[in-house]
Amino acid sequence: MGEAAEALRAELRQMIAEHIPRDFLGAFTDDPADLETAQRFCRVLAEHRLLCLAWPEEFGGRNASLWEQTVVREEMWAHHEPRGAQYMGVNWVGPTIMRHGTPEQKRQHLPAIARGEVIWCQGFSEPNAGSDLASLRTTARRVEGDSEEAMGRGAGGGAWYISGQKIWTSYATMAQWCFLLARTSRGDKKQHGITVFLVPMSAPGIEVRPIRSIVGPHHLNEVFFDDLRVTEADVLGQVDEGWKITQEVLAFERVGIARYARCERLLQGAPGALGDQWDTLPAELTARWARMLMHCRRARLLAYRVVALQGRGTVRPGDSAAYRIAVTRLDQDSAEVLMEIIRHASLTSEDQRRFEREVEAHWRYSQASTVASGSIEIQRILLARDILSGNNPPGQPSRLAVA
Amino acid sequence: MNIELSTEAAEFGKLALRALEEAGGDQLAAAAELEPDRRQGLVAPVLGELGAWQLEPWASADDLEAAAALCRSAGYWAVPYPVAERLARPADLSVDGLVVVAGPVPAAAVAWLDLRWAAVTLDGHRSSVVARPAAPPRESAFVAPLDLEPVDDAGAADVPLGLILPCWTLLGMLDRAIELARAYVQVREQFGQRLAAFQGVQFQLADAEVERGGVEVLAKYALWGVEQVAAEALDDALALRLAAVEAAESVFRIAHQLHGAVGFCDEMPVSWLSRYSQPLRRLPLGRSATLDEMTRRLGHRGLVGPYSGSLGESPLTRAS
Repeated sequence: MGEAAEALRAELRQMIAEHIPRDFLGAFTDDPADLETAQRFCRVLAEHRLLCLAWPEEFGGRNASLWEQTVVREEMWAHHEPRGAQYMGVNWVGPTIMRHGTPEQKRQHLPAIARGEVIWCQGFSEPNAGSDLASLRTTARRVEGDSEEAMGRGAGGGAWYISGQKIWTSYATMAQWCFLLARTSRGDKKQHGITVFLVPMSAPGIEVRPIRSIVGPHHLNEVFFDDLRVTEADVLGQVDEGWKITQEVLAFERVGIARYARCERLLQGAPGALGDQWDTLPAELTARWARMLMHCRRARLLAYRVVALQGRGTVRPGDSAAYRIAVTRLDQDSAEVLMEIIRHASLTSEDQRRFEREVEAHWRYSQASTVASGSIEIQRILLARDILSGNNPPGQPSRLAVA
Repeated sequence: MNIELSTEAAEFGKLALRALEEAGGDQLAAAAELEPDRRQGLVAPVLGELGAWQLEPWASADDLEAAAALCRSAGYWAVPYPVAERLARPADLSVDGLVVVAGPVPAAAVAWLDLRWAAVTLDGHRSSVVARPAAPPRESAFVAPLDLEPVDDAGAADVPLGLILPCWTLLGMLDRAIELARAYVQVREQFGQRLAAFQGVQFQLADAEVERGGVEVLAKYALWGVEQVAAEALDDALALRLAAVEAAESVFRIAHQLHGAVGFCDEMPVSWLSRYSQPLRRLPLGRSATLDEMTRRLGHRGLVGPYSGSLGESPLTRAS
């Protein structure tokens, strides 16, 4: 199993070397060619059944092992995510539709994701619902016997009209579909009454406004919904029961990005990029560099622990949260060290300039790592809850293994 | 590499934990402090009955993991005995244990023991050891200055294990410190609610657990390096040691803080753990000296991993 995963790593590196320009810093730049590179690369991966390799063969995957999936996450993130926004479709949109979708939804969406043809965005956060996601206010209003019902994509059961605002929505400018949370009823608990809708971004009633930011273009957008009409056929899972699905999505997300891999690749590359100038760095700075390498290994092993527990079906929210706390702090700490390293050297060759741009992009993007996909505070709450509850899955020792 | 110890090793660790509990548990450190000459008698026979001194961690992976689990259990009770150091004894010298030494004043927590010790420096110089008298235990935590008599330069291979096993002891102390803090915040009430209900307290516990969990995975990784006689086993050991001493600083600070003033009292185990974690954290290298040594060794090449270029060791082969 280890050998298969390492062979896959070599295969992926070969494909990246062949298809991705060396200057590539991700799909989300002001140059549309970068997005095109990513889209093309997704199709190449798809041809080799590598885009959705974790998926069952019937949906275009390879039934790949958890370790092979780990290698893909590492290699993609280490090389500035050459799948662009499609990692989301692959990592969690597809698997969630597999679990909760109707046969028609599976037919419609899964092959398109597996072929690398479609970009999804995630309509979760709102201006007043960030970490407190269940407070979302975007509302889907049901209209029974809507006269347009037979004409649209709907298949009976009335229509929904969605109004409200989402924010921080990555890739909304380029996405064809949105995985949208909206409130369909109000009960005693705010977690009840939320429904997942699968919505085409080209539908009338959707307006996307980009937000310029430190992390670069396309990452942050506002999305406005003004009486967007959807039907029963666009509902994923049960009406009002979307919170459970959302929890699953968030759990997928917590281990979805191997941030440590980019940190590790850049830190390991630093002495080579600086050449002789490495020895002129302040001793404290090289010590911080060495310390960050230890923290990279630590985060990587914590990720592997989550993967191993997933394999046994005994992973707890606290395990993923502990990894996320370690890896997001690593992301920011290593970015600081790397920025200081490049500022101490005169980097003039083409390779050196490229390294400098990579580090600079890493620093900017790392600023969001303790906020995006569940803030570090939420991770601390999840971990503390696990520690304090003392609840352990059957067959698994206490979190404190000797106790 | 498995990310966790084998079931057998974990079972052995539990067995040792119970045996040490029956032998006195938290009271062992206090008893040894009162009568330091009893150090040997309080602990060694208990572990001897479990077969601890027959373990050959340098010879078999099973014994290596069992030794690690044993050290962890000893740490849990802050056992006043150099269990890790005894288990790290080299195969080719007639000694009872091995201590790694560094810096201008060689020292180890071997006072009041009538045992034969070898010492090894990080670059493999081995010596025989005579322990000088130590200050009272409450002050010295059984650490004695050592007089060294050179033996040979063949000890490089002994060093990783000599560094790693004490980190397993320290890991056991971290396990316990967090467990004690958790238990305390669940019963202690202030402002009409349990401390555990305060988010500021929860966040501290979470941060401590991230540190502890990080040591746990690195400790297992370093053990694997010894098992494979990997060329970079010493790098792995130093990386583990750095993580362990960093974690200890943070975990003990948090454990003390969450206990408040009562945590300083002799009646509270956290006080003993904190005090007797000192030798493990300072010797043979403290946090800065460990980082210095690791940085010096890594030079331009970094730690072995998936992005360490031509060195190319595959961590995934290890992990799966």
